[in-house]
Amino acid sequence: MKIVVPFKSVPDPYAGPGAAAKSVVNPFDEIAIEEALRIRERGEATEIVGVTIGPATVDEQIRSALAMGVDRALRIDDSRALDPYAVARILRALVAKEAPQLVLMGKQAVDDDSNQVGQMLAGLLGWPQATFISKIEFLENKTRAQCTRETDGGLEVIVVNLPAIVTTDLRLNEPRYVSLPGLMKARKKPIEVLTCEQLGVTVQPLTTTLSTARPPKRAAGTRVESVEELMVKLKQEAKVL
Amino acid sequence: MDFSWSDQQRELLDAVDRFAKEQLAYDMIENDRHAVFNHDAWMKCAGFGIHGLLVSEEYGGLGQDPITTVAALERLGYGCKDNGLLFSINAHMWTAIIPLVYNGSEAQKKKFLPGLCDGSIIGGNAMSEPNSGSDAFSLATTAVKKGDKYILNGSKIFVTNGPIADVLLVFAVTDKSKGASGLSAFLVEKDSPGLDLTHKIEKMGVRTSPMGEVFFTDCEVPAENLLGKEGAGSWLFTRSMTWERGCILAASVGTMQRLFETCIRYANERKQGGQAIGKFQQVAGKIVDMKMRIENSRHMLYQCAWAAGHRKAIYLEAAMAKLQISESWVKCCEDAIQIHGGYGYMVEYEVERELRDAIGSKLYSGTSEIQRNIIASLIGL
Repeated sequence: MKIVVPFKSVPDPYAGPGAAAKSVVNPFDEIAIEEALRIRERGEATEIVGVTIGPATVDEQIRSALAMGVDRALRIDDSRALDPYAVARILRALVAKEAPQLVLMGKQAVDDDSNQVGQMLAGLLGWPQATFISKIEFLENKTRAQCTRETDGGLEVIVVNLPAIVTTDLRLNEPRYVSLPGLMKARKKPIEVLTCEQLGVTVQPLTTTLSTARPPKRAAGTRVESVEELMVKLKQEAKVL
Repeated sequence: MDFSWSDQQRELLDAVDRFAKEQLAYDMIENDRHAVFNHDAWMKCAGFGIHGLLVSEEYGGLGQDPITTVAALERLGYGCKDNGLLFSINAHMWTAIIPLVYNGSEAQKKKFLPGLCDGSIIGGNAMSEPNSGSDAFSLATTAVKKGDKYILNGSKIFVTNGPIADVLLVFAVTDKSKGASGLSAFLVEKDSPGLDLTHKIEKMGVRTSPMGEVFFTDCEVPAENLLGKEGAGSWLFTRSMTWERGCILAASVGTMQRLFETCIRYANERKQGGQAIGKFQQVAGKIVDMKMRIENSRHMLYQCAWAAGHRKAIYLEAAMAKLQISESWVKCCEDAIQIHGGYGYMVEYEVERELRDAIGSKLYSGTSEIQRNIIASLIGL
């Protein structure tokens, strides 16, 4: 079984305030990479192909994925800010080229929180999808996958025919760390660079970002002496009671 | 000298940063109190690639140059508060791995290096004796050749990693008439008949790094475990000690950096007399001095590692780096306590432990006085 893992380079969500924002592999995608590695280690997959879209600066995150154990990587050289539909269309062309039995990816990227690419890709390909999974097992000689999904009401277990799109939730696994021997090996693994033209995809943005703004600054709080005073303030100043 | 990092070095150092932050930022107060060696963290560091940084790939290492190695250790010191673990790793790297890399036979390298790199073999070095410290070559431990074995008798003290070691590099007298040229080095494995590693010594600082006394009573060591030639012990010791001196405090530069940042945060948060204490010149001055010491230490460390990587003799650089870093480390810790006031003296604030961990650095790998002697002799005094 061949697994394609699309991943995105995002600003480090764990960087402290004021720290220079370094880029990392989107944490949900890292979970997808880890799961693909575990599937391969169980002997159920033979090859893991990582794919990402971005300029050469994302090669560092690609090497991070290769260092974790991904076999080879593809980068679509495009530095535009693409919306989810454009990303899904590029990935559709890649999936057609690679013909995997499974596409495993994070449920969303932590920078824009769109949570759409996996679903759109399944729609474009006409493949079944299992989203927000916390467990995956293969059935019937790897022709189907049984996935446990985390829903608001509890756990839902579904079976999808392969090939399928599966998106990962937070509790699926804890990704391994990149070791130095892994990093050294990653330097010898191939990164293939393609363009949208080479894939035969023309993408036009469907959305335009008009503006971005910081959240308004919060004024400092005040200390009250008694519950009575608090009640008065809530009623008269905050007008919430 | 150019200390700018290549993309590959930067990537490697970033990986160390992340590893230390995510995997080694564990709680230290109880481990320190009960002198617990964190074997799990030891294995994590080895698996991550720390132990084998300098070892070539054919023996299970990463084949990095000295400057990348010390910079990686510096990052480790920044992210990991377990100075004892770092001390154990350093003893393992500089006093067991380095002598093997430079003086081991092919068979010895094949037998020990892969395990020393992957963490399954814990190494150390047994040189000091109850009556032989700074006067390093006045050893009383003897080794007598009998057939295909050497028989060792005597005892060693202050053996880092002794109680947990799988293999120790032991220095002993093979020919007393030859003085320093009559010393030899042996790789003594833990299950050798007549070897006793069970005597632990309790210390003031780096308490999570096990230290012990080692006794040899007609201890049998196979002749193939002689490292280098018979009589080469003192030369071999001097060579590995130079590496040890120059590099063993690499992690401490990172530790100082962390402490420095802690002090800046505290000085900005803590208010007395209506203003942050960092606005008081006497507090600010201490932190500025801290910064100066750290930068000087880092430059001397990198200069020493750079020279080592360019096959230059590093006796002077190593002694200067050791002296600079150890004395800076202790002074930084004292100042950090002073800046934190009464809180700095309390265990909970984790500053006092840093001072206890730092003080030993003025003693091991040659005292500050010995470093000054070496420097004096090398500048024509």
